[in-house]
Amino acid sequence: MLKIRAYHRPKRIEEAVKLLAEPGAGRTVIAGGTDLLVNPRYMMGVQEAVDIRDLGLAGISGPDEPGHRGIIVIGAGATMYQAATVPLLQRVADGIIAESAGLCASPNIRRMATMGGNAASALPSADTPPTLLVLDAQVVLHGPAGRRSIPLGDFFTGPAKSVREPGEILVEFHIPLPEAETRGGFYKLVRTAEDISMVNAAVALTIQKGTISRARVVLGAVAPIPLRARAAEALLEGRPPTEAVFREAAAQAAEEARPITDQRASAEYRRRMSGVCTLRALRQAAGLAPHPEDWRHA
Amino acid sequence: MPEHTDIEMRLTVNGRAQHWRVQPGETLLEALHHHNFKGTKLVCGTGDCCACGVMLNGESVNACCMLAAQAEGAEVLTVEGLARGAKLHPIQEAFAQAGAAQCGFCTPGLIMRTYALLQEQPDPTEAEVRAALGGNICRCTGYVKPVEAALRAAKMMQQASE
Repeated sequence: MLKIRAYHRPKRIEEAVKLLAEPGAGRTVIAGGTDLLVNPRYMMGVQEAVDIRDLGLAGISGPDEPGHRGIIVIGAGATMYQAATVPLLQRVADGIIAESAGLCASPNIRRMATMGGNAASALPSADTPPTLLVLDAQVVLHGPAGRRSIPLGDFFTGPAKSVREPGEILVEFHIPLPEAETRGGFYKLVRTAEDISMVNAAVALTIQKGTISRARVVLGAVAPIPLRARAAEALLEGRPPTEAVFREAAAQAAEEARPITDQRASAEYRRRMSGVCTLRALRQAAGLAPHPEDWRHA
Repeated sequence: MPEHTDIEMRLTVNGRAQHWRVQPGETLLEALHHHNFKGTKLVCGTGDCCACGVMLNGESVNACCMLAAQAEGAEVLTVEGLARGAKLHPIQEAFAQAGAAQCGFCTPGLIMRTYALLQEQPDPTEAEVRAALGGNICRCTGYVKPVEAALRAAKMMQQASE
């Protein structure tokens, strides 16, 4: 039971934004509900819920759609299950976005929880933000003054904190279609299949003529926000995709981690595993290790 | 509770039209219980164990972490909706035959998740069954018998449709 006094289900985004922007009304967004209903931190000061599931935000569409100009659009209302099973996302950069969605939580939760919610909750341990980040996703926010688009990398500011204003709804992710040579990797370390990540690592490498021309490395659950390991990326760029180079970059990523100790893992363990997860994700991207397949039973 | 106005809503549960009056913050699970659908169980209440699994518009979801009001207009299937009178559904029959229920609290969730799996994949491999039931926590059986039951149910349902 949530301690709320009203539930709204607007049919138009303008109506939803107006409800959310009203000062002092204490309204929050609900979509899948799987964080809001179980985590009291999201209910502080909340008195009413605004359901955004009738706003038509659940589509995932390809770069060839009219007006997309090479951009993949993931609607915030798409469930983890949708993201894990749509062929487009299973294909791009070795399917890492689909993979991270398919490895998140349990089958029932994946049919409720949304891609937008996974980012909007802004938990550092979330599984899909790292794979969106390595593919340079933009996030689109709709507020009273209309839409604004910012890099997802500028969205997170701390655990459960982001630049999203109370009157704004996260409506879409925009992902520039990566070059054909862009390969991806994702490695999630967990105690049980459905638990929250102790550490996760996403990488994207563009490999041209035997050289890494572009590298992205993002770690989850080892810093207050999903962490871009920029020094590790710099070590990879301009070099060949070999085990020796990957080991060096993985050690650097472990250095960059800023983990804490909690009930899931100690800070020391998380730091060491940051290196291990990065190495394993890099091997996947270079074809030196297989991607896991179990998530395909999403 | 803050002052609130009850919400009137309509939905279908196990094929029967329902007209409910719910509180804005009530979960679907609580509302089911208030309306005498008590087969669906509350265990963790935080979405982690899937004991409260039901089918909502053809998808399996946890009834503990969604609002009842969100199910306005939906078709809900709970474990009570599977049997036809005194005749158990093949999945229920398979769980009984395999001895897959011990204390029984997780069983409705396991059965509904198996139902969802067999809708999508009528002839699953053991790996697919284990992945599909991966979120359903059971502290008694050790999972061997529920997995066996799901595979047995698949066979029974295939034979019945041949």
